[in-house]
Amino acid sequence: MSAPELSPGVPSGPAAGVGAVPAAAGPAAVPTARRGRRSLAARVVEVGAAVVVGLVVLVTLVGPWLAPADPYRVDVTAGLQAPGTGGHLFGTDAEGRDVLSRVLTGGRETVLSTLLVIAVAALVGTAIGLAAASGPRWVDEVLMRICDVFLSVPSLVLALGVAAVLGPSLSSAVIALAVTWWPGYARLVRSVVRDTLQLEYVAAARVLGVSRARLVRRHLLPSIGDTLLVQTTVDVAAVILVISGLSFIGVGAQVPSAEWGAMVADGRSYVVTAWWIVVVPGLAIAVTAVAAQLLGDALRTRLDPTLRNRR
Amino acid sequence: MLRFVLRRLGLTLVVLWGLATLVFLLIQLLPGDAARTAAGRNASAAQIEAVRERLGLDEPLPVQYVLYLGRLLHGDLGTSVFTTQPITSDLADVAPSSIELVVAAMLVNLVVALPLGVLAAVHRGRLGDLVARLVAILGNAVPVFWLGLVLQFLVGARWGLLPISGQLDREHRVPTVTGARTVDALLAGDPAAFGNALQHLVLPAVVLAAPFIAVVTRTLRSTLIGVLEAESITVVRAKGASPLRVVVRHGLRNALIPTTTIVGLQLGWMLGSTVLVESIFARQGIGSYATAAVVQTDTFAVIGVVLVVGVVFCIASLVVDLLQLWLNPRLRTAAR
Repeated sequence: MSAPELSPGVPSGPAAGVGAVPAAAGPAAVPTARRGRRSLAARVVEVGAAVVVGLVVLVTLVGPWLAPADPYRVDVTAGLQAPGTGGHLFGTDAEGRDVLSRVLTGGRETVLSTLLVIAVAALVGTAIGLAAASGPRWVDEVLMRICDVFLSVPSLVLALGVAAVLGPSLSSAVIALAVTWWPGYARLVRSVVRDTLQLEYVAAARVLGVSRARLVRRHLLPSIGDTLLVQTTVDVAAVILVISGLSFIGVGAQVPSAEWGAMVADGRSYVVTAWWIVVVPGLAIAVTAVAAQLLGDALRTRLDPTLRNRR
Repeated sequence: MLRFVLRRLGLTLVVLWGLATLVFLLIQLLPGDAARTAAGRNASAAQIEAVRERLGLDEPLPVQYVLYLGRLLHGDLGTSVFTTQPITSDLADVAPSSIELVVAAMLVNLVVALPLGVLAAVHRGRLGDLVARLVAILGNAVPVFWLGLVLQFLVGARWGLLPISGQLDREHRVPTVTGARTVDALLAGDPAAFGNALQHLVLPAVVLAAPFIAVVTRTLRSTLIGVLEAESITVVRAKGASPLRVVVRHGLRNALIPTTTIVGLQLGWMLGSTVLVESIFARQGIGSYATAAVVQTDTFAVIGVVLVVGVVFCIASLVVDLLQLWLNPRLRTAAR
C-alpha cells in the first residue's frame, strides 16, 4: 500500500465503484475450457447493450414522431386506464394522457439533459485536469482543493441546492448537475495525464523540443480519449439517476413535462391504484442505465489492451 | 504520524471553509433580492428591511462574507420562512429520524453486501459472481425513488406485508423524545411499539441501501480477489488451513480495510440520499425537510441541508482516514 490518500472526497456518486473497479476483472482466471462460452455470452450482452443504447438514442431523436398520441392532451374521461385498454398500450395517467406517448416524448428531455451534463462536465473537467497535471505545482494544489470542496457534498444534495437557488426547472437541474459533476473528470484526467507524463515517449518528445501546446494536443489528449469515452458512457447511468431524481423531488422538469423522473413523481399518488404511471417511466430510466453500464464495461475491455489480451 | 493527522485535520478545515465560500457564492446567484427570499414570499416591506438589516445585506460584499462566516461559526443557518424557526433547530429536530434510517440502511447494506462480495470473490466466474454482478448493475441503474414506490405497491399494498408509510401506527402512542421512533419506543419501554417502528423502518432502509450494496459488493470482491492471490495466502493454504479459515481469517482481514473506507464515506452519501427516500415513505428527517423546503421555496432551508450534509460528509471522511491509520499498520509506517 502506498502513502496515505489525503483527499477527503470520493470520485463521484454512490456509483463511484463503477469507475474505480474494472468490472470484468475476472476473466484472467477463467479456465481455458470455459473461455469460448464466456466470451460468447459476453458478446451477446455487449450487442444487447449496444442495441438498447441505439434504441434509446432513436427515441431521443424521433420519439415524438413515434408517439401514437399527443403526450400532453388531457382527457379526464379517459383517466387511469389500465395498460392495453382503449388503445393505450401502457395505459393512461390521471389526466388521461397516453403513458407510452409520454415516455417516448419525455425520453428526449431526460436523455438530452443527461448527455448535456456529461458533455459539459467532461469538457470542463478535462481542461482543469490537464491544467492541474501539466501546470506548476501550486496550480495543481489549488485546483485539486477546489475539486475537494465540490466533492465534499454528495452531488445530488449540492445539485439540489444549486437548482433550488436558480429556481426549479430542467435547465436549472442541468446547470446544477454540470456544476457538481466536473470534479470527477478533473481528477480522472489529472491522474491519467500524470501517469502518461512519466512515459518514455513523452520524455522523448520533450527532448525533441516539442512545444507545450503540441505536447498536450498530440501526445497527452489521445491517451485520455479512451478513458474519457469509457467514463462518459458509464456516467450516463449515474447522471440519468440524479437528473431524474432532481425532477422527482421537484427542482428539475416541472409538470406537465414528460421527463421520466417528473412522470414518476406525477404518478406517485396513484401507485396503489394505477401502478403503470410510475412503473413505465421508471423502467425506461433503469433500462437506459443498465445498457449504458454494460456498454461502458464492454468499451473498457475492448479499449484497454491489458484487459483485451486476457480475454 | 502526528504530522499526518494534523495535515488531514487542516485539509478538512480548508475544505469546510471552501464549502462555506461556495455556498456564499451560490447565495449571490439568487435571482432578485436575497433579503426578500430570506424573509419569505408574504413578507411586508418592513419585514424585508428588518431581515436586510439583520443579515447585513446592504453592506459591501466582503463585509457580508465575513458576517456570513461568523453566523455559520455560531451554527446560525438562518430562519426558515415556512416553519419560522431557526433552520438549525429545525434540522436538529428531524435529524434523529434520519440517523435511525441511515443506521438501518447501513445494516441492510452490510448484511447483504459482505456475504455477496465474499461469495463473488471465492466463486469467481460462477453463479455467486453472476448474482453479485447483477446486483451491482441493477443497484447502479434502478432509481431509488422508483424502487421505493414499486416496493410500496408490491410489498405494502398488494401483499400487505409491511406498512407503506409513516414511522409508527396510530394505536401505538409513544412520547416523542428523540424523533427516532424505535429509540422512543425503547425509552418508553413499549416492545409492541418498537416492533411496529421497526416494521415501518424496513422498506425505507432497503430502498436507501440498494444503490450502496452494489458498491460495497464490488469493492470487497475485487480487493478480496487481489488478497487471495497474494503469496502469503498460498503459504497459508499450503500449511493446510481450511478454505473457510483462509477466506475469513487471512483474506477478509486484509480485504476489509478498503471496504471500511467505502462504507464510512457511504454514511455521508446515504444521508444525502434520504432526500429521495424519506418523502416517499412519509418519514420525518433531513431529506424530507429539504424536499418540503424546495416545494415551499424555502431556499435558505435547502441551503442549510446542503451545508449540514457537507459537514457530516467531511467529518465522516476524516474519521475514515484516521481509522485507516489505526487499522492498517502499513499506512502507519508510511505516514510517519
